[in-house]
Amino acid sequence: MAEKEKKYDRQLRLWGDHGQRDLENASVCLINVTATGTETLKNLILPGIGSFTIVDGGRISGQDAGNNFFLDPEKIGEYKSKVAMELLQELNPDVKGEYVEEDVSQLLERTPQFFTGFSVVISGSLTLTVLKKLAALLWPHKVPLVVCLSYGFLGYIRIAVEEHAVIESHPDNAHEDLRLDDPIEDFVKFCDSIDLESLDKKDHSHTPYLIILFKYLQTWKNDHNGQVPNTWKEKKQFKAAILAGVRKNAEGVPEDEENYDEAAKHVNTAFVPNKIPPELKAILDDHKCLNITDSSSNFWILANGLRQFVQNEGCGFLPLRGSLPDMTSDSERYVKLQNIYQAKAAHDMQIVSNYVSQACSSLGCGNGRVSERDLKRFCRNAHFLRVLRTRSLEEEYKQPSKAVIDEFTSDSNSDALWYVLWRAVEMFYTTHGKYPGIEDEELEMDVSRMKSFVKDLMKSWGIPGAIEAVSDDSLQEICRCGAAEIHSVAAYMGGVAAQECIKLITGQYVPVSGAYIYNGLKSTSLTLAV
Amino acid sequence: MANLCMLPEMKKSVSDSKVFVVGAGGIGCELLKNLVLSGFRNIKVIDLDTIDVSNLNRQFLFQKRHVGFSKATVAKESVLCLCPTANITAIHDSIFNPEYNMQYFKQFDLVMNALDNRSARNHVNRMCLAANVPLIESGSAGYLGQVTAIKRGVTECYECRPAPRQKSFPGCTIRNTPSEPIHCIVWAKYLFNQLFGEEDADQDVSPDTADPEANESGDNSKVKHQHAQVDAERKSTREWAKENEYNPSKIFNKLFAHDIRYLLSMDKLWTKRKPPTPVDWSEVESNSQTSVSEKDIQSVLSLEENAMLFSESIQNLKQKLENEDEDGILVWDKDDTPALNFAASAANIRAHIFGIETKSIFDVKSMAGNIIPAIATTNAIVAGLIVMQALCILNKQFDKCKSVFVRKCVNPAKKLLVPCCLDPPKPDCYVCAEKPEITIAVNIETFTVAELKDQFLKKHLGMLAPDVEILDGKGTILISSDEEDSGSFDFDRPLADFNIINGSRLRADDFLQNYDIIINLTHETKFENEEIFKVLEQTGVAQQQKSADVSATQDNTTVNNTNNDDDDDICILEENVASPEKKRKLQQSPNHDDHNSKAKRRKVSESQNDSSVLIID
Ligand SMILES: [Zn+2]
Repeated sequence: MAEKEKKYDRQLRLWGDHGQRDLENASVCLINVTATGTETLKNLILPGIGSFTIVDGGRISGQDAGNNFFLDPEKIGEYKSKVAMELLQELNPDVKGEYVEEDVSQLLERTPQFFTGFSVVISGSLTLTVLKKLAALLWPHKVPLVVCLSYGFLGYIRIAVEEHAVIESHPDNAHEDLRLDDPIEDFVKFCDSIDLESLDKKDHSHTPYLIILFKYLQTWKNDHNGQVPNTWKEKKQFKAAILAGVRKNAEGVPEDEENYDEAAKHVNTAFVPNKIPPELKAILDDHKCLNITDSSSNFWILANGLRQFVQNEGCGFLPLRGSLPDMTSDSERYVKLQNIYQAKAAHDMQIVSNYVSQACSSLGCGNGRVSERDLKRFCRNAHFLRVLRTRSLEEEYKQPSKAVIDEFTSDSNSDALWYVLWRAVEMFYTTHGKYPGIEDEELEMDVSRMKSFVKDLMKSWGIPGAIEAVSDDSLQEICRCGAAEIHSVAAYMGGVAAQECIKLITGQYVPVSGAYIYNGLKSTSLTLAV
Repeated sequence: MANLCMLPEMKKSVSDSKVFVVGAGGIGCELLKNLVLSGFRNIKVIDLDTIDVSNLNRQFLFQKRHVGFSKATVAKESVLCLCPTANITAIHDSIFNPEYNMQYFKQFDLVMNALDNRSARNHVNRMCLAANVPLIESGSAGYLGQVTAIKRGVTECYECRPAPRQKSFPGCTIRNTPSEPIHCIVWAKYLFNQLFGEEDADQDVSPDTADPEANESGDNSKVKHQHAQVDAERKSTREWAKENEYNPSKIFNKLFAHDIRYLLSMDKLWTKRKPPTPVDWSEVESNSQTSVSEKDIQSVLSLEENAMLFSESIQNLKQKLENEDEDGILVWDKDDTPALNFAASAANIRAHIFGIETKSIFDVKSMAGNIIPAIATTNAIVAGLIVMQALCILNKQFDKCKSVFVRKCVNPAKKLLVPCCLDPPKPDCYVCAEKPEITIAVNIETFTVAELKDQFLKKHLGMLAPDVEILDGKGTILISSDEEDSGSFDFDRPLADFNIINGSRLRADDFLQNYDIIINLTHETKFENEEIFKVLEQTGVAQQQKSADVSATQDNTTVNNTNNDDDDDICILEENVASPEKKRKLQQSPNHDDHNSKAKRRKVSESQNDSSVLIID
């Protein structure tokens, strides 16, 4: 077994070979060496991103080294970017590290194109001017920007990306795609060939529950104008009918038939109507799906093929997923069922594939563009496709989203408060050129300054009365930490931010849409579409 | 609310504190770094493990050149490189070692677990309860994580909730009638142990002639006779392989032709099943010289390729075995390539024979090793949360501690973290309750002393070296953990031989864990599947913290019988299928006899690194 496969064994199980490949092709940029920033990079270097670059013009001070594992205390005075890069690179010889000992604002001025070639750009806290400039630069180039920082007990992540498509969202408890409401022809035939009554004891108790469900469903539909059991009461009746079918022994005691128990257990989930989920509907109706061009991404070309399948051969349904859950069965009938489902899935996929090839050739972009593997993955995950679009920083700073206003005004305990306070801290810094509470003697003054920034912000958001929700305690709290990074918060945020970066890089799992706020005092967190 | 980190007195309580980190793996590495950078100065870290290549994707204090070295020692050195002022003691040892007794634990202000297996977690839980030291328990599995604080008499202990049930398979399914890939994989792991590892009578791989299904209307005496014969044969499996110098083709023919033909002769098994198809070595022998072990581990191999891999890996393992001492053995390890290749190829050949889907080596590894996926990010998150809790505890704000769950994705309430209040101790916990009692049903005529000791006391109750006394008024010792004494007992004799009857009471005591429990025995002859005992009931009196802040309802001798069906849904892992046994009313009142603890020399079993245990429950 390859050395690499051994090293990455435990994570390949989360995102597969293809996810690992995406990771190994990724290049990540970190702007400014903070504890949160280096922790984030650490968690990306260990699983094996391709390369990373650190941009920071500052030199190491004693304070930095005490809080950051990747700044050597013996190298005070040296460039942070260089020292951190060297220590981080030691973590994984497969990863290439680079550094630029120049301030981000200069670099933005001099060679803006430097930033647009990365897979993801991660930045610590920047002045608002620089942050906005960086965000505006990355946005049209579709490079995701991940702002991540820890500020006292507060942790903050903001993801800005115009569009991010997720094929494998790995949903938590996805319903099986069994199609009992629109059964596969061969499945019906197979079920019809089995007569439960005439089976002997062994076969009866090893009939897959899918077949039992289907047979009882047919009877039910005959008695109920073709409807499936819908209400809780109907489902209860239906379950009882199934369990009444359990064989009884000579003394009239029901036998132990696990397959019937399984059938009854699955009544609740097996009849979930096979509909197109709203998120997917939105994708299929997206203008990018309707109007594909030769510059469309593979995702949209595949989505277009999927849409045509649904509209035509699929009769409103998605391609069959083709997998079967485990069930009590003899292997012969289980394998037979499996073959029926797999054959139908392959058949559906072929139709999507034809649409995709047609589209490719009519766009003149060649047939080899979409691989068989990608197509398969796409069809198998069709139910769970996601497209994430966040607001840009420009929009965010122009006016707050409805989600922010709602969250903040409806719940006085919401951690949205800390988003508001963070915005006020940014305003404070822009005005005063320092963070609040840095100097002990100015603490009280800074608290009242902060309060007036919050007031201004609330006014500009059109909710001046909301200032009541901002307690003096919370203002004290944010000032008292004096912009210090608490290492455990930084470590925590480094874990979360790296996880989000991996999601963005691999296109697997759904990233946070907008901002993520962590309150270390209460161990609570909130995601907010800012 | 004062900021935890900023207060000078807080800084002092952190730097003066003495903490114990148990485990220097994924979470342990992160934790050590966090502790040192948060101002902790006196840290002891213990881990028995050495560094493996598959650790390097997340255990960032280790590098490739450290593979094979002690985790604890390397972790300490790596941290000291960057934080030379910390005072870290690294211990390369098992936490089960009796040296780490209650007195040892008492020196710490706080213990933090960063473990990967349930038995060690149980043990540390008991040691911390005994020493009355707060414990922070943690775990991660893939994207999921959990951190929780435990304090005697205040919160639930680690064992207050029943352990998730392990999935096990009936022996005859494994040996005679596999129907799923996992059955073949389990069989292949057993085969590894039979041929190269520690032989275990419960891990037989040969046809099981006592299969009730094969003898539905059969003649019992004949069956018993056959069984005895096979038993005799089984004992020589290893010897047989040795005599044949581990000749791959001979082993192949025995397992996949001879044994399968034998199974076919048990014709009742195949009236309703597809019968297996024996395969002879001559059919699959290939002349190809290219090695298959270089193949992509993600691809599914053909029968011929599997046969070749089988042969190759046997030769490798034989070589390894020869490098061992006279009676050395190999230990199954999913990360050991020849061992994995052996199990994968054997499982796949067997699957082929039974018409079961075959798997890639990668998938076999997952299934055989019960591998829990692990990444750096979750461990970083969990370790960050541990320190936040640690600061609360040292700041004497235990009331602020939470049980925090880390989810895979944002929940409908837009949270990634789910903090929950800590629950009070469960009154019927058989570990942290005062005067715990447990009632079990066994067949007193057949349940042996060895089964009581190994299956119930050690495996189920998690004791290390139990002493058992029969509460017959005479103080009869049934099991003594003393090496010398134990020789005089016949462990294979059933309980009935010791005048134990329905309703007898026993007291089991583990000296090291400072833990004892009364066991009530009920006679029962009917058991499901392969069970040999059933837990009927657990009772006890919830521990009260003996500090002043708990308004005392002392002398609470009422046995709490309330139904404690676990109805909160904070468990994020679905694997937790444990359902507490239905409670029955207990007749006896707990009478706690005076008990003289005797100092004894203890023999402690080696740390069982039980990788088949779920991390989080
Ligand atoms: Zn307990």
